[in-house]
Amino acid sequence: MMLARVADSLYWLGRYIERAEHLSRLSSVMLNATLDQTDAGAHAVWIAMAAVGEPGDGAGVASFEAARTLVLNRQDPNSVVSSLARARENARQVRDQITTETWERLNLLYLKVTDTRAAKEFSDSSSTFLHDVIADLHLFKGAADTTMSHGESWRFMMLGIYMERAQLVSRLLEVCFADSPRHGRLDDHVALVSVLRMACALEPYLRVYTAEIEPRHILEFLVFDEDFPRSIRFATAQIEQHLTALTRSVSAGERAGPERLAGRLKARLQYADVDELKAVGAGPLLTTVVNECARIHEAIYETFVAYPLEMRLPA
Amino acid sequence: MGLEKSMAGMTQTFAEAPPLPMTEAAYLPGVAYDEMFTADGGVRPHYDPLHARMSTLGAEELAGRQRTLERSFLLQGITFTVYGAENTTERIIPTDLFPRIIPAAEWARIEAGLTQRLRALNLFLDDIYGDQQILMDGVVPRELVLGAPSYRREMQHLYVPHKAYANVCGSDLIRCQDGQFAVLEDNLRVPSGVSYMLANRDAAKRTFPGTYRAAGVRPVERYPDLLLATLKSMTADWRSNPQVVVLTPGVYNSAYYEHAYLARLMGVPLVEGRDLVVHENMVYMRTTTGLRRVDVIYRRVDDDFIDPLTFRRDSSLGAAGLFNAYRAGNVVICNAPGTGVADDKAVYAYVPDIIRYYLGEDAILPNIETFLCREPRQLQHVLANLDKLVVKAVGASGGYGMLVGPHASQTEREAFAEAIKADPENYIAQPTIQLSTAPCLVDGRIEPRHVDLRPFILSGEKTIVTPGALTRVALKRGSLVVNSSQGGGSKDTWVLADDQGPNSGSARP
Repeated sequence: MMLARVADSLYWLGRYIERAEHLSRLSSVMLNATLDQTDAGAHAVWIAMAAVGEPGDGAGVASFEAARTLVLNRQDPNSVVSSLARARENARQVRDQITTETWERLNLLYLKVTDTRAAKEFSDSSSTFLHDVIADLHLFKGAADTTMSHGESWRFMMLGIYMERAQLVSRLLEVCFADSPRHGRLDDHVALVSVLRMACALEPYLRVYTAEIEPRHILEFLVFDEDFPRSIRFATAQIEQHLTALTRSVSAGERAGPERLAGRLKARLQYADVDELKAVGAGPLLTTVVNECARIHEAIYETFVAYPLEMRLPA
Repeated sequence: MGLEKSMAGMTQTFAEAPPLPMTEAAYLPGVAYDEMFTADGGVRPHYDPLHARMSTLGAEELAGRQRTLERSFLLQGITFTVYGAENTTERIIPTDLFPRIIPAAEWARIEAGLTQRLRALNLFLDDIYGDQQILMDGVVPRELVLGAPSYRREMQHLYVPHKAYANVCGSDLIRCQDGQFAVLEDNLRVPSGVSYMLANRDAAKRTFPGTYRAAGVRPVERYPDLLLATLKSMTADWRSNPQVVVLTPGVYNSAYYEHAYLARLMGVPLVEGRDLVVHENMVYMRTTTGLRRVDVIYRRVDDDFIDPLTFRRDSSLGAAGLFNAYRAGNVVICNAPGTGVADDKAVYAYVPDIIRYYLGEDAILPNIETFLCREPRQLQHVLANLDKLVVKAVGASGGYGMLVGPHASQTEREAFAEAIKADPENYIAQPTIQLSTAPCLVDGRIEPRHVDLRPFILSGEKTIVTPGALTRVALKRGSLVVNSSQGGGSKDTWVLADDQGPNSGSARP
């Protein structure tokens, strides 16, 4: 049992945390890729910008500015700093639900990125800055995992994290592998490595597929891998698991059934035919994932947060 | 909260003191009672160990500890947000690292005095919302009570368990020049500051661990569970496992940190008005699994805002129908609505009489002498001595509607005199009081600063005085204003367990 408003805040706390991490990583990889004055570098910049929904013309010179805006612009609701500010705002509203250890990690990070010196630190060494932000977010997740009870509060937060992750990874893959990418087929080694880095998947990928970097394998890995925590399959399995636990105590008749939707999506990925992916391309499947996630999101709201009072009044 | 203190002798001179390491010569107490030093410059025995420790720490060391302290507050989010045009920043309430120490014997008197006072005030509230015997007997003027804006007719003849109207009380005490504690103000509505008391303690333990251990300080850490027990004691016996919640106005309230802190340490939900639903005179909160019954609401929302159907109609901070549920006995609101009438500035003057009336005892803790302008003879005195007095409007707080005689210009005084004459019932006057001073670290030096004392008293089935307090500090040199809005800070308060003297043998850094 927990307050509906609190569940909502925890869910969004998780989403914003995951978003901040993903955006930081995209910026970091993008800045790194521009160091090489190659087409592949420009391609990586284009992918990163397209994945955040701002496909520019991919001019390498502007990428530092683009990255800085992506990280530090408080006016942009989709920047790292805005995501962290919103995460903290949500955490503050549910301060009684998260442990001090968890809160401190986030608060500290928030104070760091909103500090007046942040802009200079970013300019001086953007890679160190972003590396530290990502590391701090990992510390936050670690603190949450090891200090919070793995009950309802924690599950709502994890639900937010995995919902966001499934959508972000799907979006990234759509940009890279859906039909007719702007920059032609993505087959350059450097650009492919950049994509793996953006999904934080390079090292785990190498352990499975060795250094043979191929688009087909990347798709397979990021969509279907059972064990890699950033694969879509893994994320949907987690979503299903958390929702099943969360809906256990909601009386049956009134459910919009988020756990049923999640279970269906999970099964679809679990029993998918990899060859089918080859035949028709990744586009349809990725679109399905994005749409299903949106439906699950709505169902979560109907079930836990914005339910009609008339349905729940005591007899 | 809003109390302003001022005094005539603001002109006390401070010679430039040499930088640390601290010596007695560098610390120049003024005419006020100093918590650490006696008038002839000796160290009071209960301050000995701390004084010894302070002397061994260099300026660098102290500054370092101060920084650590401030950082820990920032990290914990014990901050208020300053919304600026360009960016928003987080500020902490300034905190001083030296504890203020109160010996056991003095505390025993404070404790007895506060218990007596709150018992009498609760009986007073029960009376004025009941048979109004005290008004019949003419001890307190009828119109003073019934005409006060904080008097809630809605509370009349409403059963309050244990006659405990003010479940949480935070009285403001000051130590006068003669070294005696007196009550400056009672806070019976929604007193705040207890989280700072707990946070300061936490910090002080880390700043002076050895001194803390050796001093034998009484713990304050049980406050949250005592508060929970007090709140639970207000429910009907047949509700076996009462659901307690803390009601906050929301995240933008300046005391939000405290609301979240108390909810977290009590392990109860922190709710906002929009989380509550009243259905057939029962209060429920919206949870992920449906509606859940609420039994006790520790509300940190003012009377006016708790129920738009009963009080202010434009309030969105409360829950519609809440008061009716309370009347029906299905939920308990703590503190009870309408307690504010007993901490009214004019009623304050009658508290010694109130204590005598209900308990047949003399007040253990004295009041500050208060002149009621409603009484013609006292009005004459006030008008004749405007240059020496502090005049306050009864209905105002936070330093508004107030004249600090010694600081005001002749024109201001004349204008105020007219206002008083026009509406004498709305004004009271008090002498300007020299608060006691305690050592504080200011700009790398140890200097005396004026302090007050806010202890917290719980009353439900039992009355409990927390053995500790929030000591508020006027950080500006010579200032007597301790409000956080006026540059005030706070420090930890150590109440010693006994007066055996410092256990110097085990004192370690």
